[in-house]
Amino acid sequence: MNGVNFFGIRHLSPAGGFYLRKFLSEKRPELVILEAPSDLEDTISDIIRLETRPPFAILGYTQSVPVRTILYPFAEYSPEYQAIKWCSENGVQLRFMDLPTETFLALSDKMIREAEQDSQTSEKPAEQKPDVYELLAEKSGDDSHETFWERTLEHCADAEAYHEGANLFGKNIRALTENDSYEEEETALREIYMRSVIRNAVRSGVSPEKIVVVTGSYHVEGLKTWEADESLPEFPKLPSLHTLMPYSYYRLSTRSGYGAGNKAPAYYELIWKGLCRNDRFYAANAYLSKIAENMRSNGSAASSAQVIEALRLARSLAQLHGGDIPTLSDIRDAAVTCLGEGSFSAISAALADTEIGTAIGEIPEGVSRTSIQDDFYRQLKELKLEKYRSVVAQDLALDLRENLRASSERSAFLDLERSYFLHKLRVLGLDFARLAPSRQENATWAEYWQVQWTTECEIVLVESALKGDTVELAAAFQLKENVEGQEDISVIAKAIEDSFCCGMSGAASYALSALQAAAADNIPFKEIAKTMFSLSNVISYGDIRKADCSAVEPILKQLYYRACLIMSSCCVCNDDAAKEIAAAINMINSVELAHDILETEDWVKALMEVSTRDDLNTTLSGLCTAILLERSVMSNDQLKTEVSRRLSKGVPAELGAGWFEGLAMKNRSGLIARLSLWESLDSYLCELDDEEFKRALVFLRRAFADFSSGEKDSIAENLGEIWGSNGDEVSEVLNAVLDEASQETIDELSGYNFDF
Amino acid sequence: MDNSILRLPAEQLFEEELNALIKAETDPIPAGWRMSPRSVKTYICGGKVGKTAITPKYIGHERLVEIAIATLVTDRALLLIGEPGTAKSWLSEHLTAAINGNSSRVIQGTAGTTEEQIRYSWNYAMLIANGPSEAAMLKSPVFTAMEVGAIARIEEISRCASEVQDTLISLLSEKRISVPELSLEVPAKKGFSIIATANTRDRGVNDMSAALKRRFNIVVLPAPETLEEEMDIVKTRVEQLSGSLDLNAALPKDAVIEKICTIFRELRAGETLDKKQKVKAPAGVLSTAEAISLLCNSMALAGSFGSGDISDDDIAAGLQGAVVKEDKDTVAWKEYLENIMKKRGSEWSGLYKACRELNE
Repeated sequence: MNGVNFFGIRHLSPAGGFYLRKFLSEKRPELVILEAPSDLEDTISDIIRLETRPPFAILGYTQSVPVRTILYPFAEYSPEYQAIKWCSENGVQLRFMDLPTETFLALSDKMIREAEQDSQTSEKPAEQKPDVYELLAEKSGDDSHETFWERTLEHCADAEAYHEGANLFGKNIRALTENDSYEEEETALREIYMRSVIRNAVRSGVSPEKIVVVTGSYHVEGLKTWEADESLPEFPKLPSLHTLMPYSYYRLSTRSGYGAGNKAPAYYELIWKGLCRNDRFYAANAYLSKIAENMRSNGSAASSAQVIEALRLARSLAQLHGGDIPTLSDIRDAAVTCLGEGSFSAISAALADTEIGTAIGEIPEGVSRTSIQDDFYRQLKELKLEKYRSVVAQDLALDLRENLRASSERSAFLDLERSYFLHKLRVLGLDFARLAPSRQENATWAEYWQVQWTTECEIVLVESALKGDTVELAAAFQLKENVEGQEDISVIAKAIEDSFCCGMSGAASYALSALQAAAADNIPFKEIAKTMFSLSNVISYGDIRKADCSAVEPILKQLYYRACLIMSSCCVCNDDAAKEIAAAINMINSVELAHDILETEDWVKALMEVSTRDDLNTTLSGLCTAILLERSVMSNDQLKTEVSRRLSKGVPAELGAGWFEGLAMKNRSGLIARLSLWESLDSYLCELDDEEFKRALVFLRRAFADFSSGEKDSIAENLGEIWGSNGDEVSEVLNAVLDEASQETIDELSGYNFDF
Repeated sequence: MDNSILRLPAEQLFEEELNALIKAETDPIPAGWRMSPRSVKTYICGGKVGKTAITPKYIGHERLVEIAIATLVTDRALLLIGEPGTAKSWLSEHLTAAINGNSSRVIQGTAGTTEEQIRYSWNYAMLIANGPSEAAMLKSPVFTAMEVGAIARIEEISRCASEVQDTLISLLSEKRISVPELSLEVPAKKGFSIIATANTRDRGVNDMSAALKRRFNIVVLPAPETLEEEMDIVKTRVEQLSGSLDLNAALPKDAVIEKICTIFRELRAGETLDKKQKVKAPAGVLSTAEAISLLCNSMALAGSFGSGDISDDDIAAGLQGAVVKEDKDTVAWKEYLENIMKKRGSEWSGLYKACRELNE
C-alpha cells in the first residue's frame, strides 16, 4: 500500500469516529490528511475551541447570483470531527485534501445548468439505472442499505474489523457502480486533486508510513495510486465564501441521503455513547428507555417490563438477520410492537423525539461572522435591542409615532426604525420576534412583539447570507422571491404590505407592477377581497410609516370596481362556498368604509342587487340586506317588503332560514333594536295557517339557534312591546328549557316533510 | 394425500416444502421447534430451498412476519389483530405448521367458550366411576401444548368472555398449569407459546384486560397495500382452493381478478383508486378473503350451471351478495354502479349490465 495508511469512513458514522481515534492512537502518525475542502483549513482553529459544541456546519456559498451552496455538517460522532480533535490534542499536523469549495460550487453550478437545459430539450427523463444501494438492501435481506451498513459496520467489535470492512465496502461499491457521467467526472477530478495533495505531502518530507489519510470508503481505492505523477487539469472556479455555523439535529435529519445527513442523529449519538462506554447494547437499551420515558411524561402507560420485552424482541429480530446487536429498524419495530401495542401512530411522537432529538450546536461568539451577521448585530446595537437577544421570551411594545421630546431625529423615530427592522427579520423567516395581535382597536401606531432568541435564529440568519449581505438587501431579495412567478394576487398584495411594513417602498414597486399585471386576469372574488384588505392596510398605515402610497391607490380602485361588478355573479353558489364569499363581502365593505377614494355608490348598487335578487344564495342576500340596513340605505318599508317576500309561502323553508341567517350575521344588536323587523315578522307569522306555521317554526328555530340568551331577552322585549305585554314574561317563555310535551311536539316536527 | 378430505391442515398440504426445509436446515433451531426461525420465514414468505420452490403463503409485509416469528423465539405470546379477512388465522395456522408440524391445537373463541375449554375438563363417566385420575382428564389444546412444548392457537380471542380470557394470564406468566384435584402441577416445556387472533371489528365487545394484553406482543395485520399485492394474493389462493375443491371450471382470468379487486378496494376505501372520486362505502368489510370466496363461488356457478368459463353473470351474483349485506348497502352499491362502473368503458360494460339487472 505504498506505506500510506488509508482509513475509509462514512460521514456521520459513530463507529467510524470511535475506531478512527483508536487507529490514530495506535499508528501515531505525523500527518493526518482529511477529505474536506482544502480552503476550509482556516476553520480548524475555531472548531477546536472549547466553546464550540457540535452539531455545527461549515457553509460554503457563491458570492454571485444564483447562489449555490455546499454544506458540511458535523456531529459529535463524525469521524472528521474526532480526527480534528485528536490532532489538536496530540499536536499532530492536519491537512484538508479535497477540492476547494469554489471548485465544488462551480461544478454544482455547471450540473444544475446542464440539468435545466436537459429538461428543456428532452422531455423523456433519463433511463434509471438500478441503484446499487437498493440492490445491496435487496441482497442482504435488510430493509435498506442503511440497516445493512449499521448491522455490519456500526456494530463492529473492534477497530481492525471496521477498518477492513469499510475499505472493502468502498472497494466493492466502487467496482459495482457505473455512475452517470457527471458524478464520474466529479469523482475523477476530486481524486486527481486529492492524490496530488498526498503526493505533495510525501514530497515535503513526511515518510508515507507516518501519514494517515481519512476519506470516504468509496475513495480509498482511487487514492492508493497517489505515487504516479499526473498533471493537474484546469479546475473551474466560482468566487465563494464560507462560514462556520451552529447546526441542529433536526436539520441534520432532514438532509438525509448518503453523506450529507443522517435520519436519526440522536440515535447515532446513543451508538457513539455506547462505544465510549464499551457497552454494545447501550444504544438499544437507552433508545427503548427513552421512548418509555417520553410516553410516560406524555401521559401514556409504559412499564419497564414492556421495555425489557421490547429489548428481547429486538434482539431476536437481529438474530433473524444473523446479527447480534439490534439495529435501528429492529429496535423501532420492537418498540412499536411492545410499547405501541402494534400501532406506529401511538408512539410516533416519542420515536421522533428519540431518533432525531432537539440538540442544537454552539459556536463561540464572533467566530467567522458573515456580513449579514455583522449587519444584524450592528443594527441590534444601534436600535438598542441587544438586551432582547436572550433565550427568555420578552415583550416589546412599539409606539410608531414621532417622539416629540426626543433630542435627535434618530431617537424620535427609534421605535419606527425598530419596527422596520423586526418586520425585515419576519420576512426573512427569522423566528426572533413575533408580531402579537394588537390590543388596541384600530390603533395604527402601536405594535406588540414577542421577542426570543434561539440558536435556530442564528442558523436562519447565516442561511440568509445567501440572499444578501445586509438584512435589508436579504429582505428585498426575499420579497422579490415571494412575488416571482406568483399568480395568487393576495400573496402579491401581502408582499406589498410587507414591503411597506419594512419601510422599503422601493421593494414594493416591483411587487406593485407584478400585481398590476396579475390584476388584469380573471381573479376569484375572495382573492380580490383579500388583496384589497392588504392594500387598504398599506394605505391606512402609510402615514405613520412615512411611506408614499400614491402608487397603491389606483390598483385598489381598479380592484374595487371589479369587485362591485362581479359580486352578484359570485353569489350563485352553495352554502359552503357562501361562507368564504360572505367573509369577502365583509372585508370589501370595511375597506370601502375606510377609504374616501372609493365610490360608495357602486358598492351600494352591487349590494342592492344581491339583496333584492331571488336567484342568488339566500344567505348572501340576507347578508347584503343587513349591510344595507347598517349603512342606513334601506328603509323600514323596504325591509318589511323583503321580509314578507323572503318568508312567503312559495319559498322553500331552507331558503327562508338561510336568508334570515344571513341577515343575522351582521350587526345583531342593530337588527334586534329595529322594531319594524319584528313587527313584520310578527304579522307574517300571524297570517300563517297551522300547517304553514309548523313549517316556518322549523326554520325560524334554526335561524335563532345561535342567538345568546341576552339577545333573546332583547327580542322578547321587542315582541312584548308589539304585543302590548310584559317583556319579562315573554323572555321567560323564550328562554325556558323545553318541557317534555313541547319537546315531543318538536321531535314530531323533525321528521317534517318540506316537499309540498 | 387423501383426496376425500375437504380441507387438509397446512402441515399436510405443504408437507413436501416443510420436509425440504427441515432437510436443508443449517441454522440453529430453537428448543421445541422443527426448523430455524429463518426457515420459518422462508416457508411463510416464499423462496427456494435446494430444488424445491417454496410458495409464498403470506404476501406483503415481510417485516410483520419477521416480528411475529421473532416474538415466538422469545417466550412471549403473539396476538394478531386485524380487520376480518386479513389472513390472521391463515398466518397463525402456517406459523404453527412450520414450527411444530401441527396446526391443530386450536381453541375457537366464542361467546360460549368456558374456562374448562382453555384448561381441562373431565370425562364425567370415568370421574364418577373411578374418581379423579389423569386418565379421566380431558386436556385442552393449551394443556397438551404445554406438556409437549408446542404452540397452541386461540382464534377470535376477543369473542370470549373477559373472565375466560383472563384464565390465560396465569398460564402465560407462570408457564405452568395446576390440577388441584390431582395435586398436580404441569410446567410448560420449552417451546410453549400461544398465538391468538382478534378482530378489530369486535373491539369493544370483550376488550382484553390490560394485564392480559401485556403478555402478548401485538402485531397488526393491515389490508393489502396495493392493488397488485391483493391480486397476487387472490390469484394464488384461488388456484390452491379450486384445486382441492374440484370446481370443473377454468381459473379466472387476470382481468376478472383485477376488476373484483378494484371494486373491493374502492368500496373499502370509500374512494376510487385514482383518488379522484368519493364513493359511498357499504357497511360490510369486503375483505380479501371475501374476494377469494367470491371467485371460487363464481367458478362453482360456472362449472355447475354454465360453460365452465366465468361469465359476468356469475360474478355479478357473487358481488351482489358480497357488497349488499344490509338494506342500506343497496344504495351504495347502486350509486357505485351508476357513477363509477358505468363510466369505465366497454371492458366493464358487460359486468355493469349484469349487476344492474340484479338491482332492477
